[in-house]
Amino acid sequence: MGDRVRRPRDAGREAQEPEPDGAELLQRVARGDEAAFVELYDLLIGPLFGVIRRVVRDPAQSEEVAQEVMVELWRSAARYSPERGSAMTWAMTVAHRRAVDRVRSAQAAADREENVGRRQLSRPFDEVSEQVATRLEQEQVRRCLGTLTELQRESVVLAYYGGRSYREVGELLDTPLGTIKTRLRDGLIRLRDCLGVAS
Amino acid sequence: MNADVHALTGAYVLDAVSDAERAEFERHLRECEACAQEVRELRETATRLGRAAAVVPPPELRAAVLERVGQVRQDPPQAAVVPLRRRNTAWATRVTGAAAAVLLVVASVLGVLLVQARGSVDDAEARAAAIATILSADDARISNQGDEEGGQMTVLSSRSVDRALLLADNLPAPPAGHDYQAWTIDDQAAHPAGLLPEGGDAVLEVDDLGGARMVGITIEPDGGSAEPSTAPIMEFDLA
Repeated sequence: MGDRVRRPRDAGREAQEPEPDGAELLQRVARGDEAAFVELYDLLIGPLFGVIRRVVRDPAQSEEVAQEVMVELWRSAARYSPERGSAMTWAMTVAHRRAVDRVRSAQAAADREENVGRRQLSRPFDEVSEQVATRLEQEQVRRCLGTLTELQRESVVLAYYGGRSYREVGELLDTPLGTIKTRLRDGLIRLRDCLGVAS
Repeated sequence: MNADVHALTGAYVLDAVSDAERAEFERHLRECEACAQEVRELRETATRLGRAAAVVPPPELRAAVLERVGQVRQDPPQAAVVPLRRRNTAWATRVTGAAAAVLLVVASVLGVLLVQARGSVDDAEARAAAIATILSADDARISNQGDEEGGQMTVLSSRSVDRALLLADNLPAPPAGHDYQAWTIDDQAAHPAGLLPEGGDAVLEVDDLGGARMVGITIEPDGGSAEPSTAPIMEFDLA
């Protein structure tokens, strides 16, 4: 990509540095700025890969999906508008959707049995060893998940980290679909308030 | 607002809905500012769940992404393609009378898109002529399918002209090492009908429709396959 590409930032120090502004980077990427894309990659890839890995699980397929997502961000950067949310949220929305599409289309039945789904409930974060999320972020989310009712928490965790449809969640938790729908919404609303998300 | 649809905000944000439900909910979103606001907030909330799961990615991923990005053309700004954009929809129509006139306008818009896509006026004129030939046939037909991110495929076809044009718009790149392959599908089998050229806005001409009932698109290993190795990601009735 030529000599405009900047050196990768020291991954170990990244958490302490102020984050570059994702929205501004995306706007530069939309104009074809490859150096900005490298910065954007470094900013986003940890969380994106974390989510993809959680949903897809298979490491090789997770890498494929992550690659597709990053290329998609490059390709469609011009479509991002800051009014619709942060760059991280835009990217994460694309990543989660792609990861879910991958597991649904693959219908990898063998490793998606009920016991796997259930196992995800107890340990939302401990599965993958090399965490880069800051402890503060994790603690906040863990604490706020703890404020949900059990059914809300299980539903949200299975849907988000497990990539399950609300129908699958209903079957796994043996709960009527209408109840699952409202628990997913109520659970997210409670998380929103606990995490202090404002838009 | 419809309480039942509105209750889907959580499932929608978590990608826990079916394609049909997503389409219905997105129609609802366009008319419900309160819902759109809630979706924005819940998306930011879901992002926090995502950030808490961040991990160190495999180091080779970075080089692989940067290499691919060097080969991928970027989409133009959104305004240029708004007239054709349908979100997450599938539609098809017979072209008759007044509709044909409307579609000639569509064709000229496509022509503009093609100039942007290929940077060649000659190419675009050839495409526009092919489009016009199909649209002027009595049995012209136009079908469209799209995804949430705005990627879509439009198929213009006519049995009497015995030709179909596949027009991709913002289609996501196929997985690494793969191509989109088109097939004409009759009652017996799927017949190879060419590979979609690379780039999200590619055009593929399919001549010789034969007795095909539909045109399908699959994802195949680079260079294509003799017969489909995966289920079609899109199918268009030629009816």
